[in-house]
Amino acid sequence: MVDIQDLAEKLVTRALRLGADACDVAAVSSSVVVAEMERGSVKQASTIRDTGVGIRVFRKGSPGFACATGTEMGRALKALELAVSQARAGTPDPAFKDLPRPGRATRTSGLYDRRVADLQPAEVVEMAIELTDAARTHAKIYSVNAGISAGSCQAAFCNSNGITRRQSFTAFEIGAESVAKDGEVMFSGMDASWSRRLQKSEVVRVGQTASSYAMRGLRRTRIPTGDYAVVLDPIAAGHILATAIGGGANADNVQRGRSYLGGKVGKAVGVDSLTVWDDPTVDWLSGSFSFDGEGTPARRKAVIERGVLRSLLHDSYTAGKDCVRSTGNSSRGGALWSYRRPPSIAPSNLIVSRGDSSLDEMLEETRRGVYLRVTYDHPNLATGEFSGMMMESFVIQDGALGDSILQSTIGIDLLEMYRRIDLMSRETRYAFGVSVPYMRVSRARIGGSA
Amino acid sequence: MEDLAELAIEKAMGAGAQFADLRIEESTSTSILIMDGKTKTMSSSSEEGIGIRAFFKGAWGFSSTNLLTKSPVRDAAVTAAKMAKSAQKRAKAEFELEDRAAVLADEKYPCREPPTDVTSEEKLSLALLLDRMMREHHESISSTSVRYDDEVVDRLVANSFGTRVRTHEVWTLAACSAWASSEGVIQRGHSSIGSIGGFELMRTDAVTGIAAESAAQAVRLLDSVPAPAGKFTVVLDNKMTGIMAHEAFGHACEADGVLAGASVLEGRLGAKVAHESVSLCDDPTIEKSFGYFGYDWEGTKARRRTLIEAGRLKGFLHNLETSSRMKAQPNGCARAQAYSSPPIIRMSNTFVAPGGVSKEELIEEVDHGILIMGSQYGYVEPAKGQFMFKGDEAYEIARGELGQRYRDVSISGVILEVLQNVVAVADDFVLTDPGYCGKSGQEARVSDGGPHICISNMVVGGLV
Repeated sequence: MVDIQDLAEKLVTRALRLGADACDVAAVSSSVVVAEMERGSVKQASTIRDTGVGIRVFRKGSPGFACATGTEMGRALKALELAVSQARAGTPDPAFKDLPRPGRATRTSGLYDRRVADLQPAEVVEMAIELTDAARTHAKIYSVNAGISAGSCQAAFCNSNGITRRQSFTAFEIGAESVAKDGEVMFSGMDASWSRRLQKSEVVRVGQTASSYAMRGLRRTRIPTGDYAVVLDPIAAGHILATAIGGGANADNVQRGRSYLGGKVGKAVGVDSLTVWDDPTVDWLSGSFSFDGEGTPARRKAVIERGVLRSLLHDSYTAGKDCVRSTGNSSRGGALWSYRRPPSIAPSNLIVSRGDSSLDEMLEETRRGVYLRVTYDHPNLATGEFSGMMMESFVIQDGALGDSILQSTIGIDLLEMYRRIDLMSRETRYAFGVSVPYMRVSRARIGGSA
Repeated sequence: MEDLAELAIEKAMGAGAQFADLRIEESTSTSILIMDGKTKTMSSSSEEGIGIRAFFKGAWGFSSTNLLTKSPVRDAAVTAAKMAKSAQKRAKAEFELEDRAAVLADEKYPCREPPTDVTSEEKLSLALLLDRMMREHHESISSTSVRYDDEVVDRLVANSFGTRVRTHEVWTLAACSAWASSEGVIQRGHSSIGSIGGFELMRTDAVTGIAAESAAQAVRLLDSVPAPAGKFTVVLDNKMTGIMAHEAFGHACEADGVLAGASVLEGRLGAKVAHESVSLCDDPTIEKSFGYFGYDWEGTKARRRTLIEAGRLKGFLHNLETSSRMKAQPNGCARAQAYSSPPIIRMSNTFVAPGGVSKEELIEEVDHGILIMGSQYGYVEPAKGQFMFKGDEAYEIARGELGQRYRDVSISGVILEVLQNVVAVADDFVLTDPGYCGKSGQEARVSDGGPHICISNMVVGGLV
């Protein structure tokens, strides 16, 4: 059995001999078990084992990257030669300063849960059945499609400045879609959960939540176009903010003049109550790590603090350009590392400040509004404008949640949205890499079909 | 490859599978990303592996490994069969797969200049040329990106019916993005070109055209304003018609979603689902397209699928399983992102067939509406029956004339209503940009297109 740390170290040494100025290698071995349910019945069980190396080299600042499956030295060396030849072929880039240097290592707890790594396919299938049963709580639930994924990964990292590190992750993900049907009317409710630890209680919660929104959505209405107060569910808020803040504060986007947050560090971008941390050190969150994709130790930093943009998200390249230290936001994939792509800037976990309200209080204080539960749209990072479909949304009328809204859109300028947040809940949820409360935005443009 | 395939099928069937299939792949790919005139990434990958699927009384087991030697392949085959049997014990639904004739084929995608024979320097030089063309287009261009991708795959699909299909797949793609800025306003334009085939595609004038188109679009959008929100009559250009065909209807025709009870088209075969002027097809056999394939990833020969004919729902997109369960013929829609993923039902080249009026006549007939052009992205939830897609740029139409330019226009619609609201279909058919469609965590190369079409009562998402 090849030791992946040893393989990574040997490849770095060999890269320097081949003429690379700098090099890093990630050797990854992962295993994922997935159980998928279709219409309430077990459809497929899968195991996927994947091992390989990703090699990045620099020559005069020009990067080359190659990956190879497996741990066989001959294949890895071929990939290394390819990476070096690509770096030679590329354009020199004086903006590249250096890869990270060894420093005090941090150790984040809550990255690896042996119970997840040891899960057998039959156990994952049993949990998926439990999930499906929970998602079928009413006779009108017509179909349940759901899945559970349990994965583990060992990642060895080594660079030419002497950083040699290893970390192990687990990931436990649950997703369910309940479809309710009443005559010709169909509506689906979804819910999901992401964690690094086994959370059996989440299985039932996710199923029940999907089912309850599917049933609630059967009563449908159309609303006229206009300005409405919008209460954002953490599912919708997480999806929007992951790109709006995660992508907007990406230092590469800012340095290239492609972000609406360009030139705004130190300036107010939202209400005083809005604070957003990028924090890879939180136990068991899917974006947590001990060191990032370039070996930089994990650290918590404020991106927005009391409404003021404080920090961008950097890797070593953008940090070198701005003469600051890397914030440790070089990513090698999602919850589990991948060796197939070169690292790129991404948020770890975005943690949005809590408020002192509750969802019920928010609804009670909203006479006429919209509750947006799910959208899969992305903001335009260049303009800072967001317009998209309200995939799952409900009317708020006289302080109560009402019918689901058919065929409607939402449009708002992101900076206006940050300024118009007037209520945030104490309760938070983690969705799409963002831990976020329920939020109320006092006004947004809703395109309706009434 | 063949020996390992025989071994895997034998072991999976020996371990109790009723049916087994596999995909063994060896692939190499190149990806170059240029940003602002400098290489951001230049990457290559060299992969090999096998994914084995076993079927037992209505349940599937899947296992993959990238160790292509006898012992791990044998283990993966037995694991897949065991997982299918274990899953079946807890399955409520039981069904059989119909026996199908073995397919024996060896297909090489047309390719004059394999990307593996072209040096990294030459690929880079093309990308740098496109980058320079964008930056030199106009003084307001402030940032640029160029992406070049190619992939060469040698794939064997084998199954226990005796199918052995070897495919030598090759495709290339280039994409340009330009950002223009002026007086604090930043706008982005983009364009791409891609097809199956080799580097010869990158030597055509059409490639340099995408650089000019991206830069020109970014500059044009500088004087655009946010779109109004509300209900409008819209005219969709070729790209928007294509993404509507894909998102608003194609996904709902995927038979796996229909069987899962997650498509509003369930039970509507033969029903009127669109205006009689609308016919909609999915066709992987169009050569020189990004969605081309001759045999699908289960070994079924690909063919054109008519989904809507003169407004009526004619058929669904099938694989071996769904065709068995729905008493239909398999029509070659199974595709897997790579050996490490099980094949699922996917679209290929999806389009609306051309109509009989000119584009100009179509626009002239609109008294008050919006012309929406280009496509950024779209998505759909077939169970809710709702979809959205977003255009690059748009224009107000007033009494048949184009007026104010808008940006970032999104459209939201209801699957069972949108095509009923088609007012007219133009005759200017174009199969448009290459793209990737995401489903169940897998990506597939696709393209889409059609003519300009006019639709009433569409909900437009805007900021004002």
